Order: sequence, then structure tokens, then C-alpha cells
Amino acid sequence: MIEYVGVLMFLAAGALLAAAATTVSGLVAPHNPTREKLMPYECGENPVGSPWGVQFNIRFYVFVLVFLIFDVEAVMLVPWAVVLKELGTPALIAGFIFIGMLVLGLADVWRKGDLEWVREEERAALKTAPKNAKAA
Amino acid sequence: MERLDTISSLQYFVPEIVLVFTLMAVLVCDLVSKNRAPRERRLLIVIPSLIGLVVALSYSLQGSEAVSAGLFHNMVAFDGFGQMLRVIFIVTSIFVLLFTLHSNELRLVHHGELLVLLLTVTVALIWMANSINLLMIYLALETVSVASYVMVGYLKTDRLSNEASLKYILFGAVSTGTMLFGLSLLYGLTGSLDLFEIRSALSSQEVVASSGPALMVILVLVLAGIGFKMATVPFHFWCPDVYTGAPTPVTAFLSVGPKVAGFAVLIRFFYGGLASPSEDGASWAMVGSVDWQTMLMGISVITMTLGNVGALLQTNMKRLLAYSSIAHAGYIMMGAVVLSGEGIQAMLAYMIIYLFMNLGAFLVVIVVHNDVGSFDIKDYAGIWRRAPLLTIGMGILLFSLMGIPPFAGFLAKWYIFSVVIDAGLGWFAVIGGLNSAIGAFYYLKILKTMFIDGSDTPEPSTPLALQPLYAGLLLVLIVPNIIGLLLWGYLDRVTEFSQKLLDAM
Repeated sequence: MIEYVGVLMFLAAGALLAAAATTVSGLVAPHNPTREKLMPYECGENPVGSPWGVQFNIRFYVFVLVFLIFDVEAVMLVPWAVVLKELGTPALIAGFIFIGMLVLGLADVWRKGDLEWVREEERAALKTAPKNAKAA
Repeated sequence: MERLDTISSLQYFVPEIVLVFTLMAVLVCDLVSKNRAPRERRLLIVIPSLIGLVVALSYSLQGSEAVSAGLFHNMVAFDGFGQMLRVIFIVTSIFVLLFTLHSNELRLVHHGELLVLLLTVTVALIWMANSINLLMIYLALETVSVASYVMVGYLKTDRLSNEASLKYILFGAVSTGTMLFGLSLLYGLTGSLDLFEIRSALSSQEVVASSGPALMVILVLVLAGIGFKMATVPFHFWCPDVYTGAPTPVTAFLSVGPKVAGFAVLIRFFYGGLASPSEDGASWAMVGSVDWQTMLMGISVITMTLGNVGALLQTNMKRLLAYSSIAHAGYIMMGAVVLSGEGIQAMLAYMIIYLFMNLGAFLVVIVVHNDVGSFDIKDYAGIWRRAPLLTIGMGILLFSLMGIPPFAGFLAKWYIFSVVIDAGLGWFAVIGGLNSAIGAFYYLKILKTMFIDGSDTPEPSTPLALQPLYAGLLLVLIVPNIIGLLLWGYLDRVTEFSQKLLDAM
């Protein structure tokens, strides 16, 4: 166990430093809160509503998932490409099967219309009522 | 044991490959047929899935008894045990796929993703049951979990379904996270992810002397993940809520597929990593400093007792069956603790029979819900007058679940109890028997409601609507329960070769 004493000391020193930094800045820094300073930060915009109940469009989530397709592709294919010559034909085939599966994911999202911010059904609805165009 | 590289492993991996390509083909069919009429579109996705499953089944039925090999550099095992389980999973999926066709709950939603998810889970279940590497176990378990979360919440507009899905996710995340922590500790202790290498590391006196409490902690943590899949106490809390909220075909699937796979992982993990086989491979001796046999026995006793007692108070049919499936997990676990090949065989036989009786019971729930629109047991009153044959069928299934002779459920229980008694654990079998007696009460309560309640009302009875497909399926599911005695010789032969676990001889 004795070899782990270093870890413990490191932890203690870290905690001490962090505590010291916040305490000292709390004691020394000028304390002058105004309404603007206490507002949640939102890129210069005036925040609307409480920061706890943020209205967040769920469709961003779909985009994250689509991003994941390309992300995984890049992460897996770079090392694959590096050693491809040594591994030979089976690796080439396996790589293309892998790409095929990922493309299938993209095709699914595309065909289901999730890549478009304004979907087909909504677009049809917008044409009939052009005044609501901003709602999307 | 052979240790195969990637390319030569593929010949033993045909059913899985077929299933993977099937699910991709189904996805493509689903996309291509987007603008067709719903009925036509459904056929276009159901038929390829069925064909794929049947082809995979026919490949996995051609078992080769002699071969046992570690595929993909000892990631996945290929042995009699795994081949048997593969058949169980594919058969379950075929039944559940057919269950979804006329279910009223799923009538208004598109089935495309559901089928793709079902096929995904099937492949992942096969991987899960055959993994012999810690990473592979975790990966397969997560694939099963993630896909089943979506399946549980498939009814997007149904609040109960959403709630069930969320509970399942939260519980699953905690359980598998806990398990992952345990696995990482195990890796730290033994320096390997391969179960057989872990065993040899744990066999050394040096490790045993220094690892007592650590190994105990590891086992408890890992059991959290496996127990979540098996739905054993104390990781059963999700079970009643999820079973109630999920669409009934999905519930039927969850009550068989992941549960069986959980037990397979239990066997692989404990018999592979924490026990060493005798010369003839018919029994095992524990390795390491922890008496995990007693631990599992405790879990088994608590699980079946709590499951049965919990079921007594239920008024919702799906909730009741959830508790009943918890109790059955306890019985199945009895076979896993005796450390013998016979125990594994009894467990497999039990799981096969459990598949038929439990899927049958859930199919009756679907049929009744299609007509009555309710899962409450009190709404089952008077079914006898409306559908006598269905009621008799349900009676057979429930007697089988109870374990009343001459139905197959009795044989399964008898087999498992006798193995336990042979192992010198008479008291354990007595507890199992007492639990069956408690269980009989709530199963009989359902039957009483169906047969007697509401039979004195004067209003004329209309026959219950029963789709021909469901009638046929019910017949297929009920018949093995009746002729279990005749099938026993066959079952014995089939399961005998499957008790052979892959081993690093």
C-alpha cells in the first residue's frame, strides 16, 4: 500500500490548492453584484425564462446521432487505412462492409426526412399558410 | 480447444451473419417501401425478417457436436451450450415477430424499426450468451440493453410506455455501469480480459491469498449487471413496471430472451472464470477465495420467494406475469448453482419449456387485450363463456407454469429439483417446492376469474375475437406443454450435448 501514498498526497495537495484559490479570491475580490451580472450568460442575448426549463429542440439530438455516424467512421477508418497494406484483401472487404453499414444509417435518416429542418409535411402546411413561415 | 483467427471463425458464425444481413435488408426494404400502402409495406418488411430468421434457424440447427472453438481469438465461444441457446433465441424471435402482427397495441405504429430492433437484439443475445471475454460480454450486454430500451418505449404516444422505457434506461445504466466497474477491478486483479486466463490467474495461491475482499466486491458488482438481465432480486425492480408499460409482444420477448441470455452469461462467467472443470468435464470446483455458490443460492432463494409473494397481490395481468417471471428466474438459477453438467442441462431444459409456457401465456394476454382492451385480471371474468377453448389453453399454460403433472412445467421443475437433491442440497429443493405451492395460488386465482367469475350474468355472450394466426400460434405453444412427457427423451438428448461448455483443456 505504501506506494500509493504519493497518490494520496497528490489528491490532498490538489484539494488544498483549489480550496485555497477559491477562499483567497472570495476574501480579496471586490463584491459588487448587479442584476445584469447575476443573469445567466447567453451570448449577449437577454435570457428568456428560467435556465432550468430550457426549451431545446429535440431535433438537435438527431443531428448529434448523424454526426456520430461520421465520427465513428473517421475514428475507425484512419487506423484501418494505416495498416491496410499489411492486412490485405480481407481487411479491405471488412472495411467496405463497415462503411456500408454506416451509410445505411445515413440513408435511413435521409429517407425518413430527418436531415431537413423543415420537413416535407410541414412544408406542405407552410405553403397553404405562408404567414406562419417564421414558426418553423 | 481450438483458438481460431477471424477468417476461419466465420464458418461457425453463419447464423449471426445471416441475421446481420437480414436486419440490414429489412432496413433497406423499409426505406424503399416508404410511399406504399401500410399493409403492403408491412408485408415487405415482415417477410424478409421471417425468411432471415428461418434461414438462421436452419443453419443453427445443424449443430456440430464435436467442435468446440474459441472464435475471433477467444472472443466468442462456439460449443454445444451456445448452439442450443442460439436456437432458443431465434425461436423466441420468430414467435415474437408473429406476435406483433395483429397486436392491437401496435396497430397504429409503423413496425419497421421494431423488426430491425428485434433482429438486432436477437444477434446481440447470441453474442451475449457466447462471449468468453469481459469486453465482449459487456459490449453484447449493452447492445441488448440499448435496443430493448427503444423497443420498450416503442409506443411513443403512450405515457406508460415512455415511463417504462425511462425506468429501464436509468436502471440499466446504473446496473451495467456497476458491472463495468466490477469487470475493470477484475482486470486489475488478474491482468487479463480472457475468462480462461482469469481462471488460471485466480488459481494461483498468491492471488487467492491477497484477493479475498477484492474478489468479493468484484462478484457483487458483476452480479448487478447480470442480475439486471436475469431480473433476480435485488435487481428486479425494473421488471414489473417495464413489463407493464412495454407493448405486450415486447414484454413477451423481454421475459424470455434477455433473461435466458443473462443466465448464459452467468454460466460463462462463473463456470469459465471462477471454476475449474473436473477431468471428465461433468462437474466443476470453485476457484478463488469466494464461496460464490452459496451467494448464488441465497439470491435464488430470495428471488423465487419474493417473486411469488409479490405476484400474490397483483391485479394487473402483465404485472403478475412479471413477478411470475422473477420467480421462475429463481428456479432456473437453482440449476446454475450445483456446479455440474447435469445442472446446466436441467437449466437448459427448464429454459426451453419456460419459453413455450411463458410466450403462450403472454399470447393469451395479447388476444384478450385485442378483444377486451384491458390487462386487468378482473376483466378476464367470464372469458370461459366467450372462448372456452382459449380458456382451456390458458389453463394448460398456467398449470404448466405452476408445475402440475403431467404438464411440461412439472417435468422441468422435477428435473431441476432432482439435480439439486443429487448435489446434496435437499433443503434447497424443499424451498423450491414450497415456492411452487405459493405460486399455485395466484395462477389458480387467474383461472378462477376466467372460469367462474361473471358466469352468472344474464347478458348474452359474444365469442371472443381470435385471429387465425394467433390461434395457430397458441396451438404450437400449448401442444409441447401437454406432450412434454413424450418429448422428454428428445429434450434430454438435445440438451445433453449442450451441457458441454467450451473449455481451455
